[in-house]
Amino acid sequence: MGFRTYLIRRIVYALIVLFVILTFNFAVFRLMPGDAEKMIIDPRFSPEARMALRKQFGLDDPPLVQYWKYITSLLRFDLGQSFATRRPVASELAERLPNTIVLFLTAFTLTMVIGTAVGVYAAQHRGTFAETFVTGAGLFTYAVPTFFFQLLLLMLFGYYIRIFPIHGTMSAPPPDGAFLRFLDRVHHLILPAGSNVIIGFGSWALYTRNTMLEALGQDYIITARAKGLPRREILYHHALRSVLPPIVTLIFLSLPGMVTGAVITETIFSWHGVGRYLMDAVLQQDYPAAQGAFYLIALAVIISNFMADLVYGLVDPRIRVGAGERR
Amino acid sequence: MALLEVKDLKMYYRTLRGQVKAVDCVSFEIEKGKALGIAGESGCGKSSMAITVLRLLPSNGHILGGEVRMDGLDLLSMSEEAFRKAIRWSRISMIFQGAMNALNPVHRVGNQIVEAILTHEDVSRQEAVERARRLLDMVGISPRRFNDYPHEFSGGMKQRAIIAMALACNPDLVIADEPTTALDVMVQAQVLRAIQDLREKLALSMMLITHDLSVIAQTCDDVAIMYAGKIVEYGTATEVYKKPLHPYSMGLVSAFPNIAAEKSPVRSVPGFPPNLVSPPEGCRFHPRCPLADDKCKTEEPASVEVGGNHHSVACHKVDVTAGGIDIWVQ
Repeated sequence: MGFRTYLIRRIVYALIVLFVILTFNFAVFRLMPGDAEKMIIDPRFSPEARMALRKQFGLDDPPLVQYWKYITSLLRFDLGQSFATRRPVASELAERLPNTIVLFLTAFTLTMVIGTAVGVYAAQHRGTFAETFVTGAGLFTYAVPTFFFQLLLLMLFGYYIRIFPIHGTMSAPPPDGAFLRFLDRVHHLILPAGSNVIIGFGSWALYTRNTMLEALGQDYIITARAKGLPRREILYHHALRSVLPPIVTLIFLSLPGMVTGAVITETIFSWHGVGRYLMDAVLQQDYPAAQGAFYLIALAVIISNFMADLVYGLVDPRIRVGAGERR
Repeated sequence: MALLEVKDLKMYYRTLRGQVKAVDCVSFEIEKGKALGIAGESGCGKSSMAITVLRLLPSNGHILGGEVRMDGLDLLSMSEEAFRKAIRWSRISMIFQGAMNALNPVHRVGNQIVEAILTHEDVSRQEAVERARRLLDMVGISPRRFNDYPHEFSGGMKQRAIIAMALACNPDLVIADEPTTALDVMVQAQVLRAIQDLREKLALSMMLITHDLSVIAQTCDDVAIMYAGKIVEYGTATEVYKKPLHPYSMGLVSAFPNIAAEKSPVRSVPGFPPNLVSPPEGCRFHPRCPLADDKCKTEEPASVEVGGNHHSVACHKVDVTAGGIDIWVQ
């Protein structure tokens, strides 16, 4: 099996998963209590007015027709109209998506880089105080509930010591000048992104440390040492490089968790993003909005899983040749 | 002066159960162009000795005494950095045991050879690649396989690639640690032939570590028999093989079936190698030795030369064993 077959197979799997999720997404919102009527239809409306509204939102169609419309319009990224704001869900999401991406990418990149670096450092200094400290700190931050830690940070640095804003993605009104506006954004970003990094780096560092220690015990490390390679070369080019496949896979596998974690972070820090939009939509029983946000998150999860498979194939030559016949 | 001189070398591992006396007062020499075979059971300290010479000890391994000299240069007192640059691979290289994992699975085989060359020599990458291709060719691997990954090689090819890698910097001494273990018999023969050819062609000095006496008989000039961290017998390969003097060597030699001779059951040396945390008093072999008496239990035998030719043995019962009787007949 060549890489092309592997690729095609992965794409087909991803599409199947997408279809199942969409169907599930459709069913869940129709099984939940309440519908648009409760939200937007005033009990004092006449029956004719009610019918007209139901028709406007397509709620008078039989479920199968609704399902068909739902699937075809999702594929066109037409996510329907929000019950609450009467605006297209797609444009509401498009407005918030950049904010989520900024928060997410910042937190994620920093977690990854800091976590890996700390893990390599701990593996390198096995048996020292530094390693014990990293292991302890990693376990501690891993065990602390994210929302609790974030609320503490908010209280400490937003209320008692007012060095960070307590909500929002930027000041209102924003400061003049592109650079000041950028700084204002960064200022708002520090607490939500930073809290995620602190919570996330620990498990990352522990994982890196463990796989590195395992790699450092392999025969090929002795070979590398016997070859007279410098320490750094052995550490990075031989040990870290050989554990890169599982680490990179873990990076991509952890993406979905971080996407969903964004819901909590965005809610706590009142971040104008997709996660908080989903939260609000669910609370208001704004089904098109919630469905749209779910759809987006599901897409993110599927794409990151797909990328995990691809990247794994690229970094591990044993997989690249083709799973199966040569092993 | 011998190329490599090891004198009274002591290397212990510190463990929770105490010190493991893996290498205990070991002395030997390797002349330029000669091959010394080191034979013994698993766990007798032969591999530990190899990694002591290259200073590749794990963190709990400690050199407690003795000397390792190469052309008179004291290898144990050199700084780690100087040793890495001047000795490892450029002067002493190693063929590792088990082709399985000695090559890094995520790097191309050719590049792993190139890396060794570029670390020690000031040549362009292109020259290094050229040399790596020639080396692969020399051990019978098509240079077209330069860009393959280790998992694309068979076990024998991996082992030959490792041999090519060991020769990359024209070392003065190659240490081969169980180079044919984990290979099937046909491939073993191929690998041994490759080693022999190269030895003749390049006048390599070698230290070959194995539990298989036939490998030593085929490739080595001298042999040292190790038991429980000590060398118990030392001499030319033919002499030790034909006329072993230590009861343990006699056992090893007769444990090896001779297909030309009349059919007889394969024999083994009864018992197990001792625990090296608290090895037996006196002669370490006495609990398994049919000749052992009270002196053997209390007094450690010194190594004595017997009959010239540097054939030496550490046994209180040399007069009996030299008599040529088969002591392992029950």
